[in-house]
Amino acid sequence: MIKRTAICVMILATLSSCVAIKEYEKMNINDPDMKLSSFSIKRFETNFQVYREGASGANGGKTGGGCGCN
Amino acid sequence: MEEKQEEAVVVINMRKYICIGVISGLSIGFCSAQSTSQSTYKKKVLETIEVDFLMSYYTQKGEHAAVTGGVGNEKLTDITPTLIVAIPINVDDVLTIDAGISAYTSASSSNLDPFDASGASSNEDEEEEEEEEEDDDRRAYAATTTGSPWVESSGASRKDVWTSINGNYSHSSENRNKIWTANIGFATEYDYTSLGFGAGFTRLFNEKNTEIGIKAQVYIDAWKPKYPTELDSYLESGQNLNNGFFADIDILDQQGRVIDKNGSSVWSPLQTTLINDKSRNSYAVYLNFSQILNKNAQFSVFMDLVQQKGWLGNPMQRVYFSDIDNYYVGNASSISKYASPDNRDVFQLADDIERLPNTRFKIPIGARFNYYINEHLALKTYYRYYFDDWGMRSHTTSLEVPIKFAAGKFTLYPNYRFYKQNAIDYFAIMIYLSIIAINMV
Repeated sequence: MIKRTAICVMILATLSSCVAIKEYEKMNINDPDMKLSSFSIKRFETNFQVYREGASGANGGKTGGGCGCN
Repeated sequence: MEEKQEEAVVVINMRKYICIGVISGLSIGFCSAQSTSQSTYKKKVLETIEVDFLMSYYTQKGEHAAVTGGVGNEKLTDITPTLIVAIPINVDDVLTIDAGISAYTSASSSNLDPFDASGASSNEDEEEEEEEEEDDDRRAYAATTTGSPWVESSGASRKDVWTSINGNYSHSSENRNKIWTANIGFATEYDYTSLGFGAGFTRLFNEKNTEIGIKAQVYIDAWKPKYPTELDSYLESGQNLNNGFFADIDILDQQGRVIDKNGSSVWSPLQTTLINDKSRNSYAVYLNFSQILNKNAQFSVFMDLVQQKGWLGNPMQRVYFSDIDNYYVGNASSISKYASPDNRDVFQLADDIERLPNTRFKIPIGARFNYYINEHLALKTYYRYYFDDWGMRSHTTSLEVPIKFAAGKFTLYPNYRFYKQNAIDYFAIMIYLSIIAINMV
């Protein structure tokens, strides 16, 4: 699985080419809905999922610690 | 946090629960007049103080309560108000304070003592109050002692309040290509305390098209353990069923017959020691990489490495073993329907509390890909693969399509989430079918 993920990352990185997007071209990328992290309000839902599910982490939430869960 | 925004978000997931949250973003303007002596204008990382107030209401239903061994009422209600204040300390630095409380009532944790307030358990406060007259009250109560994993108990453990406060300090470099962060936090609830601290570093390059980050976090946690009432009482009474709470209470076998407490087949917990190591520490390293692909697309990949040490089970959770005889307190005629919500008056005595290895190493790996379709639509995708050395594997994926309308004043966030996991190596399902079959013969 790690190998597959690494390959996907390499492919995506390659697709990005060497051309950097200029600041003035980032209007769409900077849209609040394009953030590569969850909104603050999602923290509650993530917290409930940590209690109910075995897996946690890699989502901005806790991966152990802070509560008697997971 | 850079955006001044005021928005309301309502998230409704009909599958298992309802969560309603409101974000109220307030910006409190401070004088930001620029000195005329400065030759160049340097934009602040955060221009003004920002205050976010978030509130969550959550409710759930379920029939697999872990406190009662995987069978029983999981009804839970939680309200969590949270306040987040971000303060610009200077042009480059921001201090963020995040404080919240979570107040909940829980049917499953109420059944830490399923025999209600007069039940077997006695917490530390009650221990101090133990007097002869209390023993008399218990004897009067004992004749009608019943409990059920399906009935919410009125004991003290039916509710709790979790309180937390966290501080995060961030410093950005002159060109905003380097960001250092440090954080410290504390959380407490009735049976658990946590002290957390950490530090991180983020580097942006390639004209801020590429970002890498690393963060380390430590949680020094401790249990103030509370145990299933029958186990606690059994040890308190010197492992003698003729003493303490059990003195005047009938214990039933699988067939509903009252057992002879001095006989050879009696209920007794598998182990007579409880938690000796009350610590539960977590050490985590978070790695992330993100890349802008073009004007409309970007992705990120991230990985956590988490090592946990200490008491990793939950001392409130009962365990029943299929190769150990079952014993009950309550109405004998209800034993045959123990696993059914129709059971309102019989409770199975635990064989043990949850015991798990004292170390665990977890690795979740995640990825996000976001695509800007047009001014009305965006596509947000997420995938996570999780594995650990307890044999658990899980897949999580989600898809969200924010839809803007009314010229971007409102956004609807329909989303779909899929989660799948296998059981850890130390888990087994309690099968009650065999019990029912025995009783039907």
